[in-house]
Amino acid sequence: MRKLINKPEDFVEEVIEGIMMAYGDRLRLHNGDSRIVLRNPPARPGKVAIVTGGGSGHLPVFLGYVGRGMLDGCAVGNVFASPSSQKMFEMIKAVDSGAGVLCLYGNYGGDNLNFDMACEMAEFEDIKTKTVRVRDDVASSPPEMAEKRRGVAGMVYAFKVAGAAAEEGLNLDQVAAVAQKALDNIRTMGVALSPCVVPQVGKPTFSIKENEIEIGMGIHGEPGIEVREMMTADAVASLIFDKIAAELELNEGSEVSVMVNGLGATPLEELLIVYRAVAKLLAARGVKVFMPHVGEFATSMEMAGLSVTIFKLDEELKRYLRAPASTPFYTSENK
Amino acid sequence: MKASMLRTAAAAIRDIMVANKDYLTALDQQNGDGDLGITMVQGYSALAQMLEQETEQDLGKLFMKCATRFNDAAPSTLGTITSFVLMGMAKALKGKTEASLEDMTAAYEAGLALMMEKAHSKPGEKTILDSLEPAARALRANLDKGAAQALTAAAKAATEGSEATRTMKSVHGRAAYYGEKSLGLLDGGSVAGRLIFEALTHIAG
Repeated sequence: MRKLINKPEDFVEEVIEGIMMAYGDRLRLHNGDSRIVLRNPPARPGKVAIVTGGGSGHLPVFLGYVGRGMLDGCAVGNVFASPSSQKMFEMIKAVDSGAGVLCLYGNYGGDNLNFDMACEMAEFEDIKTKTVRVRDDVASSPPEMAEKRRGVAGMVYAFKVAGAAAEEGLNLDQVAAVAQKALDNIRTMGVALSPCVVPQVGKPTFSIKENEIEIGMGIHGEPGIEVREMMTADAVASLIFDKIAAELELNEGSEVSVMVNGLGATPLEELLIVYRAVAKLLAARGVKVFMPHVGEFATSMEMAGLSVTIFKLDEELKRYLRAPASTPFYTSENK
Repeated sequence: MKASMLRTAAAAIRDIMVANKDYLTALDQQNGDGDLGITMVQGYSALAQMLEQETEQDLGKLFMKCATRFNDAAPSTLGTITSFVLMGMAKALKGKTEASLEDMTAAYEAGLALMMEKAHSKPGEKTILDSLEPAARALRANLDKGAAQALTAAAKAATEGSEATRTMKSVHGRAAYYGEKSLGLLDGGSVAGRLIFEALTHIAG
């Protein structure tokens, strides 16, 4: 393992320390707890709060989207491990200003159970909560088992759109409905070229041969659909596009936003070459692209590879996607 | 039922789990990961210890504290599932400092309902529910006979329910990989459920 770290066991602590030193003017830790990152200054009272949480190792997911126009709080777990329900509950309590709290997070076993438990604790203290789980990864289960799918990069769009709806003053049920509507129109699939290394494990979580590509791999190295011989950028784009297009009706006149997301070790140049191919496939169908997102949004440490997300829009979703948002890791200004 | 009785109950459940730790572990090793005995001892020891010093009289708040403490001490799947039962009971008992047998039965039913919802499980799937759920029905059917008799009936139903897991196939957790091979095996979780009611019978009698 070659990583620019100090002691592996200090990894998460030191990442948060770095984030607070760099962006402490826009983020704060709840009672100094490095596992609960909150928006600073807090949102206006009466706004529905939106929180997320999950394991570390995916920056900017999850805490990178805490900020104006997006999230109010994030519970931080160890690398690839859920935060505890107690931390989630403390966060929910800290961000609620009476309008209730939307828990918006990826569909993973540990996160589900802990958030469910945190919501029970919140309900006991008369805090209203709603849960919407992100399940955008088409490679993680077939369509008939879509409720089992994992949440990956598409969650960034959900944070953006739900965040804008909450800023606009919608109530908890309405914000949850907007998030769900967005997610019903979001699909993602990824490919991996090399593995990642969890600092405290010290060796790669899996291996991919020099001339191979793993199709549909998850952001923790969950096995994908198949291993293929290495392919060109155009062939990868077309493979992913076909899989997603089979589930979203993309017709002449449809409008979408496209996210090409690097997993950590893939250059922006390569992301743009793949974006170009996806944009051409969409243009050939007469589909218009609105606010493309090309860059690193949901990573898996030093994993090489990328994911493509397609988000089918209508006028309402477009308006929420366009609305201003600014966090230390995301801005709507440059999209 | 008052707060002080919960302390006696938790201590009795802890003692029976300690006495059966190796048995539970052996059962779990047949088709699980073998941590069942440890989880139950850790969870109920933490509860008993907490309740020795706890002064909270509101049964709802007390059960909520138990749920949180249990999850902290035993964050495995069965530990989390147990916490959900306690949370469901907490919600039903909120604001009460004294609860009748009927209140406790209703709270217990609410706890089981919450657990089934969160764990996406139902009776007949070779889990702890296969002893806990028959016990709930027995309590409900024997409400008019008083706590001692109702708990004896619940313990009997839990024992029969646990035995019946031998005829069931596992569908949850690691045990699910064993599928058909799990037929004939007694489910460790259901035994843990039976032991809870056995302990409660001793203190009620």
